[in-house]
Amino acid sequence: MNDTAFRRMKDLPSTHLLGTGTPMCAGCGGLEALHQIYDVLGERTVFVNAAGCMTLLSVYPFTPFRGSWLYAAMASAPAGAQGIRDALDILLAHGRIRTEDDLQPVVLTGDGAAYGMGLSATSGAIERNLDFLYICYDNEGYGNTGQQYSAATPHAARTSTSRGVHGYAGEKKDLFAIWAAHRPAYVATVVGAEPLDLARKVETAKRLTGPRLIIALAPCPTGWDFDPQDAVAIGKLAVKTGIWPLKEYRDGQIRHTKMPHPRLPVEGYLKRQGRFAHLFAPQRNEKLLREIQSGVDRYWQQLEGIRAAPGGGGACT
Amino acid sequence: MGSNEKIYRIRFHGRGGQGMKTASRILGTAFFLSGFEIQDAPRYGAERRGAPIFAYVRAARSPINERGIIRRPDLVVVADDTLLPIPAAGVLAGVDEHTILLLSSDVRAAEWVDRIRFPGQLILLPKLGETEDPPGLRFLGATCAGAAARLAGPVARDCLEASIHMEAGPLGAAALAENLSRALAAYDAMASHAGCVQPATATSADDYIAPRWVDLPFEQASVSAPAIHGTLTSALSKTGLWRTLRPVIDYARCKRCWWVCSTFCPDGAIQVDSAGQPGIDYEHCKGCMVCVAQCPPHAIEAVTERGSQAEEAS
Ligand SMILES: Cc1ncc(C[n+]2csc(CCOP(=O)(O)OP(=O)(O)O)c2C)c(N)n1
Ligand code: SF4
Repeated sequence: MNDTAFRRMKDLPSTHLLGTGTPMCAGCGGLEALHQIYDVLGERTVFVNAAGCMTLLSVYPFTPFRGSWLYAAMASAPAGAQGIRDALDILLAHGRIRTEDDLQPVVLTGDGAAYGMGLSATSGAIERNLDFLYICYDNEGYGNTGQQYSAATPHAARTSTSRGVHGYAGEKKDLFAIWAAHRPAYVATVVGAEPLDLARKVETAKRLTGPRLIIALAPCPTGWDFDPQDAVAIGKLAVKTGIWPLKEYRDGQIRHTKMPHPRLPVEGYLKRQGRFAHLFAPQRNEKLLREIQSGVDRYWQQLEGIRAAPGGGGACT
Repeated sequence: MGSNEKIYRIRFHGRGGQGMKTASRILGTAFFLSGFEIQDAPRYGAERRGAPIFAYVRAARSPINERGIIRRPDLVVVADDTLLPIPAAGVLAGVDEHTILLLSSDVRAAEWVDRIRFPGQLILLPKLGETEDPPGLRFLGATCAGAAARLAGPVARDCLEASIHMEAGPLGAAALAENLSRALAAYDAMASHAGCVQPATATSADDYIAPRWVDLPFEQASVSAPAIHGTLTSALSKTGLWRTLRPVIDYARCKRCWWVCSTFCPDGAIQVDSAGQPGIDYEHCKGCMVCVAQCPPHAIEAVTERGSQAEEAS
């Protein structure tokens, strides 16, 4: 981190690479993260997109990108990245492109593909040590088709397929841990509301080779039901309440890049979103609120336990 | 179906999020409960909240054989008058002398007739302004459905009521009550125009004239696959049209901390000049107001788009 180009907010890019005029919703937290990521990654990229909101970025003849873009079926974006990497390697080997013309395959999918449908193809790509970057914008549901629940939906959230008084009964899958268990080159969580942390992580990922994943929490005004202007405030609260830990995995170690001090009650985050409104009205659902808070507490207490233990420091086990 | 059967063809236009899909469902169900055969379908492009969308209802006393979007509407309902000048929104597509246009606007009807040279009859639904009554906007769908039901004529008040129960019931008692009162108020307010919509005759398959297709030879993928050779073409879409509120920077108060607004703007629509001064690209700003919420010295203000457009015009 000492050799980062991003020491202060002032060091962030002041010009933006991603084009305007995209069909993403006003206030889309996923687009906010993507434009920040793209500024650091640069133009020498080929995006491979699985079906989701971001597919609509490149609807012929429009594109906000400065390079190529490939559309893959929902479960197979990492396979698409493999094909592009192989093609580039062949062109390089035959001297048809120069080393400095090489491109970086970047998979871009929502959580539906990243946490669920595409997990098998992803696991295979990591196993083959494919040199690619995977960006998952996590809006915690199948956003493009109307916010049905996904494996990334948090406990108790209302989705269009979890409409009962208790919301979604399941728990959010830990994709960070699933990736880390494969021992890839890099895994990180980010959110557009913390742009400096995001820029440093993309910078790190860019310098490494091999499979790399960045999971961006993507506050989604449409799917989470909040006023678009609150998108950044909600992203910041996700970090301050500890429900979205900012961390990275590298060389077998997990490091938290921002410790929430003091850690705010998670209620402050939940209250701002319509998808949790049933926890507060017509009457407070103390049981569910407690379940959510204790889930967050457990995470941070375990972490403190690991750090306090002899030889601790967040080894990945 | 005999060739003199009549079909009601009603098209609802609005922006994603304004409830026009809901309006068409409410009206479709109300027609159904009144004993009609119906079709009701929303139509989206690859765009979302804030972008132009439409939904449509066909209703007839016997089975409907027509398919696809409505090309010759008897009634066009428009929830948002800022859509009228946007050709891509297609609000006026296929209208003629027999078409009724129900428009939510606070500009006078005569002025609209003049501006858009509308050939049919124009009826105004008083507009709920975005700052005057933002909660009311949530119920615009119910209002439009209620008004459309009365203009069409054969939908009974209790069928409209039952339809709203089905649509808004699951949203809770408060939302249901509000939807009901808005829809029924609009239904009653349209009494003087009751039944003014003239359903047109069903088209017969015999009258179908096939387009003059041009046969093209089959090309190789390298020729026929869509490829974008230009970059950043998305900027050709003027998403600034989505905006109902406009962020305006007060440069006297702006502290030149561009890294806040320019970084947080989801759309990258805030540029920074060499002096570190941010500038908003109004052609593409969608009006999310994230910059207004995040600006540390509160130097960005939200003003209504209609207000600032009126100011610019004068
Ligand atoms: C195999 C398959 N099933 C279903 C779909 C329909 N579909 C298109 S986008 C989408 C939602 C994807 O959700 P996610 O990956 O979370 O991305 P988001 O829409 O939230 O951006 C679905 C289900 C599809 N394209 N392919
Ligand atoms: S549905 Fe959510 S994630 Fe998808 S474009 Fe809209 S705000 Fe973004």
